Amino acid sequence: MKDDVILSVKDLVIKFNLRGRILTAIREVSLDIFRGESLAIVGESGSGKSVLVKSFIGLLDENGWIDSGKIIYKGTDISQYKSEQDWLKIRGREIAMVFQEPMTSLNPLKTIGSQIKETVILHSRLRSKAAKRKSIELLEDVGISQAEKRFTQYPHEFSGGMRQRVVIAIAIACNPSILICDEPTTALDVTIQAQILDLLKYLKVKYNLTIIFITHDLGVVANIADRVAVMYAGDIVEIGKSEEIFYNSQHPYTWALLSSLPQFAEKGKFLYSIDGMPTNLFNDIEGDAFAPRNKNALKIDYVIRPPYFSISPTHKARTWLLDKRAPKVHPPNSIKELHKNWRGNH
Amino acid sequence: MKKESLLEVKNIKVEFGTNRKNKIVAVDGVSFKILKGESFGLVGESGSGKSTIGRAIIRIYDLADGVILYKGQRISGKISKSLDIDITKKIQMIFQDPIASLNERAKIGYIVSEGLYNTKYYISDEDRKEKVIKALLDVGLFPEFASRFPHEFSGGQRQRIGIARALIMEPELVIADEPVSALDVSVRAQVLNLLLELQDKLGLTYLFISHDLSVVRYITDRVAVIYKGKILELAKTEELFEKPLHPYTRALLSAIPVPDPRREKNKKIEIYNPSCHDYSIDKAEWVEVGSGHFVLANKKEIKEYRRILFS
Repeated sequence: MKDDVILSVKDLVIKFNLRGRILTAIREVSLDIFRGESLAIVGESGSGKSVLVKSFIGLLDENGWIDSGKIIYKGTDISQYKSEQDWLKIRGREIAMVFQEPMTSLNPLKTIGSQIKETVILHSRLRSKAAKRKSIELLEDVGISQAEKRFTQYPHEFSGGMRQRVVIAIAIACNPSILICDEPTTALDVTIQAQILDLLKYLKVKYNLTIIFITHDLGVVANIADRVAVMYAGDIVEIGKSEEIFYNSQHPYTWALLSSLPQFAEKGKFLYSIDGMPTNLFNDIEGDAFAPRNKNALKIDYVIRPPYFSISPTHKARTWLLDKRAPKVHPPNSIKELHKNWRGNH
Repeated sequence: MKKESLLEVKNIKVEFGTNRKNKIVAVDGVSFKILKGESFGLVGESGSGKSTIGRAIIRIYDLADGVILYKGQRISGKISKSLDIDITKKIQMIFQDPIASLNERAKIGYIVSEGLYNTKYYISDEDRKEKVIKALLDVGLFPEFASRFPHEFSGGQRQRIGIARALIMEPELVIADEPVSALDVSVRAQVLNLLLELQDKLGLTYLFISHDLSVVRYITDRVAVIYKGKILELAKTEELFEKPLHPYTRALLSAIPVPDPRREKNKKIEIYNPSCHDYSIDKAEWVEVGSGHFVLANKKEIKEYRRILFS
């Protein structure tokens, strides 16, 4: 079951042209996504998490391109797709996306119903009455009560949480296999956020979805993810099962990310914070991109890019610290506390 | 030692809309005190009125009712010009969005000194420049930045500029409205550290408005929970998080995502239903149920809350 790879990214490089300067946003990323899992991609702004998933549905900005590498979806290399027609076979039908802002992803001039129906008609053989029936079903599925009445209302008559439900309904309208959620709960209040996360878990089972979840909120990750990929400077620096990342993290950047959370800080004491500036992706990066900000960086970190070291069959990290010859480096105290929860090989 | 109160908000009410038909009561009978040197948190969901309270204190919004006292002196309603200038200096604000809150066409030096210009709080241009340099250094920026424009800076640096702009007035009370909500995790940690450091160094008092409960727990000493324009519960921060009494507070705290997969996957979320209160005969009052722990409740509920608090 676990071997059932639905989407496979191989040595993907994505570049952008910004006023004549070339920026490498994704640096040789390889990633297997398994059918039916929920994978969270975490990282700070500019780490490339949104760019990576946008390349799965051909939504890179016009100045960006896939420079090399493959994206294999159900046996086809979709990174070769050029025309909009090609992408329409994938986008929505196979891989759908929910964006962050529920306010801007709906058209304020059209009724909720017509916006869902539009998608249903575009992607299926259903017509008018049947399409309407299907749309109302979808609204009920995402937990909107009095769906028939709500069908004729406009976006401004919906609250933020309700709008996000509608956006999710549109995304699942054509039974996609993969649902990408790009910070879907960031703009919402905590109580609403919890409801949306529950909804996604329910839909995942009902519609047999594979979910890719992009967020910088590690609390949300803990809630929803089976596996977590940590991105830094256009690269996946650590990936593993959720428990492996939270309770047995190995990469210094993952440590830094977790330690800077106020939840793990002692009151009145300073929060752990990462020194220095994020890596400049216009430059060629030699060695480990995180090295200049890592107090425990080794000499080799500045010279050779670390390979992945396996910690378990499901857990690997790109850091020289895991090399046999590396000196023993202890994680910060807050991480040690977290590691106490680790039960090891299970 | 009992700390003196710096700011006192008494029974304030803020309304929007002119006529009776579309009048909205955004803040309804809110009272609290902020003690000198503490960090006081105001948490609630969007539309609860938390930002409106902050804006009423710096007198962007007029009060429909109630009074705001600063060091015992009334600062709401009509006040003298000299008091007005004085209060403008003493109470400063930091905003949420570091991109929208800085004038794109002005240099940092101007943005930071705008408050000085408005209140003529400088002797000569030399003096003004010196103050700008000091404010920039205080927030960990270089003095050279004064001649640059906002677009040259990252989100975290912009937020520092926003803080420098408030500090240059040498305020006593700083109202921080979601100051770190738009920032990344690691930058958020830097800005929170800066706020703590400045409080220590300059003896600032903070009113910290946020919907991010984990940040509020980390930074504040006391916290008030606001829902639909009313404060439902107020207590020392740790006590509120350990022993939340009001069902809304409990629901809100239960919904915070915890960065711990085992706990997060097994947690139970409570849902608040306002109709669980029966205030038809036994009316709700603002009562101190434990030392410094206030809650809005009727007699029957108070009994129950006291039982929970002292068990």
